[in-house]
Amino acid sequence: MCEIKIEHLTRNYGGGKGVFNLSFDVKHGEVFGFLGPNGAGKTTTIRHLMGFIKAQEGSCTINDLDCWKDSEKIQLKLGYIPGEISYFDDMSGTEFLKFTANYRKIHHNLQKDLLERFEFDPKIKIKKMSKGMKQKLGIVAAFMHNPDIFIFDEPTSGLDPLMQNRFIDLVIEEKKNGKTILMSSHIFEEVEKTCDRIGIIRQGKMAAIDSAAALKERHVRHYNVKLENETLAESFAKDFNGISNGLNVTVSARQSLEEIFMNYYGDDRK
Amino acid sequence: MINLTLYKREFKRSIKILIIFAAIITMYVSIIISMYDPELMKTLDDFVKAMPQLMSAVGMKANTTSLLGFMVSYLYGFILLIFPMIFCILRGNGLIAKYTENGAIVSLIAAPVKRRTVACTQIAVLVSGITILNLYTTILELVCAAVNFPGALDISKLLIINLGLFCLHLFIGSICFIFSCFFSDTKYSIGFGAGIPAFMYILQMLANAGGRAENAKYFTFFTLFNPDNIISSSNNSYINIFILLVSAIALYISSITIFCRKDLYI
Repeated sequence: MCEIKIEHLTRNYGGGKGVFNLSFDVKHGEVFGFLGPNGAGKTTTIRHLMGFIKAQEGSCTINDLDCWKDSEKIQLKLGYIPGEISYFDDMSGTEFLKFTANYRKIHHNLQKDLLERFEFDPKIKIKKMSKGMKQKLGIVAAFMHNPDIFIFDEPTSGLDPLMQNRFIDLVIEEKKNGKTILMSSHIFEEVEKTCDRIGIIRQGKMAAIDSAAALKERHVRHYNVKLENETLAESFAKDFNGISNGLNVTVSARQSLEEIFMNYYGDDRK
Repeated sequence: MINLTLYKREFKRSIKILIIFAAIITMYVSIIISMYDPELMKTLDDFVKAMPQLMSAVGMKANTTSLLGFMVSYLYGFILLIFPMIFCILRGNGLIAKYTENGAIVSLIAAPVKRRTVACTQIAVLVSGITILNLYTTILELVCAAVNFPGALDISKLLIINLGLFCLHLFIGSICFIFSCFFSDTKYSIGFGAGIPAFMYILQMLANAGGRAENAKYFTFFTLFNPDNIISSSNNSYINIFILLVSAIALYISSITIFCRKDLYI
């Protein structure tokens, strides 16, 4: 069963910007990575799914409900982290979370757990928060009503590596709980750790949809290096994140997202 | 129909402005009513006679004999028009356009709450503010008149005048609100939401100045609220109040439709 379904979605902003005849779906219990460079149309697609903007052509549905017409029904079980957190900046984080809980009429609130997990003290004014703090606030607000479907727009931007990992752990946990997740990103590493399938979007068109494993297979190269002695081999393995086996060390090199794009398109950007 | 949590938050944000404007209105209303004094009025009338155009431009006319007529001349031409109007402009813009511009509206829309409910709630906040301001003005006028000049005030006429004033402000509020829904930039929302009522008020001032400029009255909605006509029980004045009320309702309904259909780039 497909939980999130996008069919022939078109939104033309002019000048080659927008999304064009975009189709893909996310199945129940699947984590879908939505990968693309800035301005590729990730956020535009997400805005359609969230019911912020109306499709010019094509349709978006979540659980067979139209994303524009039945937005408020979908939102009941949906958690969303916006690409840019800009909540009421006159409120403190605590006030905002309380406001959101009342506004959404949340009965079972997971807020306390989430605050502990991200070591986040929301007492200060949102206006004074750093990017990372706002991001944590966004994460707590998106998870606290225990939704079934998640939509994340570059969810780890602004987080330090430790918190990024905590977020990834949280996503993996939710996946085990059978949640459906759509996550946009421009960082390959972030999605490859969590996603079952990855869609690559560029200039508003879906370039490729593949399983994360296949993409990884195709874009990761392994090298066997033989070193002079074992001490050297071990420190080499440590420095280059490889696996040492006696004198032999296996290191992997991952292509950057840019290279992956070139792989799919040829280099027509220049 | 409305979301109580949002209503409470927004109403709280109105309170500060309401208190400031209530204080200004208190000052003017109490001072002006206490100034009602045949002796002093003669001086003021002389003033009006000396510079009729300038004085009538701000709604002050000669021969204001009754207390109510006096109040209409010195309160309903400027103070009680302008301050609630500024309230409408500030709140009308702050309720939708400001949040659309800074993106804060995302937390209202990305929730199991209909857009219609969000718009209705914000209208309720605006209308409550206008109601409170008008109600407070009315009570204040009644109290000041009762304390200073017991029995001198034609209460039923005053109530009708204030009902008209209320409808006028509902209408001004609806203008501010519809632009707040229509534009995603506060500069346009404020530009039109404040610009149109302010321009209309200037036309009203021109029309008041008389002469050929009087024709300006056909181009401003302030003409629809004419307390002098209410005092003289002119039939048209009731129809005019009704027109203001109906237009306000129509604009609020259109605002809701605009907001529900709007693309939000948040």
